[in-house]
Amino acid sequence: MVLVRKPGLQSTIQSRPRTGKRHLGVPASGPADPLSMALANRLVGNTSFVSALETTLTGVTLMFDCDSRIAITGAIAKCTLNGDPVEQHSTIVVRPDDVLAVGSAEKGVRSYVAFAGGLDADEVLGSTSTYLPAEFGGYAGRALEAGDELQLCDAAVDAPLLVTPAEYRTPMLGAWTVRAGRSCETDSMRDPQRLFEQKFTVSNRSDRMGIKLDGEAFTTDSDGQMPSAAVFPGTIQCPHDGSLFVLSVDSGTTGGYPRVAKITRMDLHVLGQLRPGNTLTLIERNDAVAVVELREQHAYWQAWLPDIERVI
Amino acid sequence: MRSAGDDLISVAVVDTQAAQALAAALRQSGGWIDAVAGIDSVVVHFDLACVDRADAETRLKDAVANVSVRPVDQQAVIEIPIVYGGEFGPDLEQVCEKLGLTKGEFVALHSGEYTVDMIGFTPGFAYVGGLDDRLVVERHSEPRQHLPAGSIGIAGGRTGIYAVPGPGGWPLIGRTARKLFDASSDDPFLLSAGATVVFTAVETL
Repeated sequence: MVLVRKPGLQSTIQSRPRTGKRHLGVPASGPADPLSMALANRLVGNTSFVSALETTLTGVTLMFDCDSRIAITGAIAKCTLNGDPVEQHSTIVVRPDDVLAVGSAEKGVRSYVAFAGGLDADEVLGSTSTYLPAEFGGYAGRALEAGDELQLCDAAVDAPLLVTPAEYRTPMLGAWTVRAGRSCETDSMRDPQRLFEQKFTVSNRSDRMGIKLDGEAFTTDSDGQMPSAAVFPGTIQCPHDGSLFVLSVDSGTTGGYPRVAKITRMDLHVLGQLRPGNTLTLIERNDAVAVVELREQHAYWQAWLPDIERVI
Repeated sequence: MRSAGDDLISVAVVDTQAAQALAAALRQSGGWIDAVAGIDSVVVHFDLACVDRADAETRLKDAVANVSVRPVDQQAVIEIPIVYGGEFGPDLEQVCEKLGLTKGEFVALHSGEYTVDMIGFTPGFAYVGGLDDRLVVERHSEPRQHLPAGSIGIAGGRTGIYAVPGPGGWPLIGRTARKLFDASSDDPFLLSAGATVVFTAVETL
């Protein structure tokens, strides 16, 4: 059992995204940065989407009553075991009564804590991922609170001790670039080219539902309204105030605002680490190039994450 | 047919029924991660790791050519008892004022039989069309952060039924006690596109 001593701002259990149910209004959920979660699971011998913890900005403090092996990845934070510093991106051996503290994020937003064998959690609609707005999945459908007791699926203590190779550590930055392509209503913008010519600032309105970008306002012909249509994580909407809103893993499944761009599949994981005040530049990628780059990335990651095609 | 992103294709259709029929046919045929209907379009999400866009487009074109909009299967009529106004419909008074109706007139116009146009936005959220022309209001400019499950709002000529708790921007006119979502069921939502619902006024939840 793992006791939650300090829950942090918003710590949730996440696993694989929900698919095939968007027509019922069920969003993907899952880790906002699936690549970082996969890297944490890798270090404890799990496949990429075994149930793990996602923290938000302020980390989490946990106490163990059993032997286990764990790993921390994602946002850069000072981490300690019984007060002594421990490294991110390496397998950590924990013993009964050990206290693990993941500190506040210094760069990035979300750290991931994976446990050998994974966490036991509520499975709803095919996944244990927590979907906070509707209060289902994970730990009673909610963010962790002090005193919660997390159950490990299996006290696997023979996972080998590993370190993420340097070339597979995703950088946490202050200035980000992501690849994005045009979408259905891009042509309704008066000046779509500006999407790819300016630096946006990540606003305070950013969470697992989506991220509002600050920048010079856009104008669309449709005056910010259209018949509701399907949207997906990575879809960038332009509501009537001319701002941009990037949908993330917990976003609704249909929306009535023009869809002016979409972040490419290979860069969606970046959305989980965009921090208010960071800058974001969109690099234009047409569909023909995006598929080639995705498959190159898959080939590159394969050696460390064999199930990379499910992750990015 | 047009790109909605590197792994998304959108296809325009004539109306909501056509969108629902095409999306259902695509889901049944398999080969898509998701196939989601909008009001007058369908978007498919394909697995870019192993599917080429050209092949996805060909399959989508075939599906569009072969789909037939059949009359919706006869479904049971689902009664939705609604407590109108008061603490459960905090916007009803303001809505009535805007529309120039008494509460009694509003309830008389709103209760009755309707068809669910589509499900979307949040889990199980039902867009119910066919509202009387005298009941058209706009959504709030700032959505409420947390509405309880069973909340019922109106906007843009439709009634919206919130199956699960969450944020929402439709002016609230009432609430139902009917359980609209059951997480433990394989078929967890009470309502689906094409279902017939009957709104009836009740005094208590």
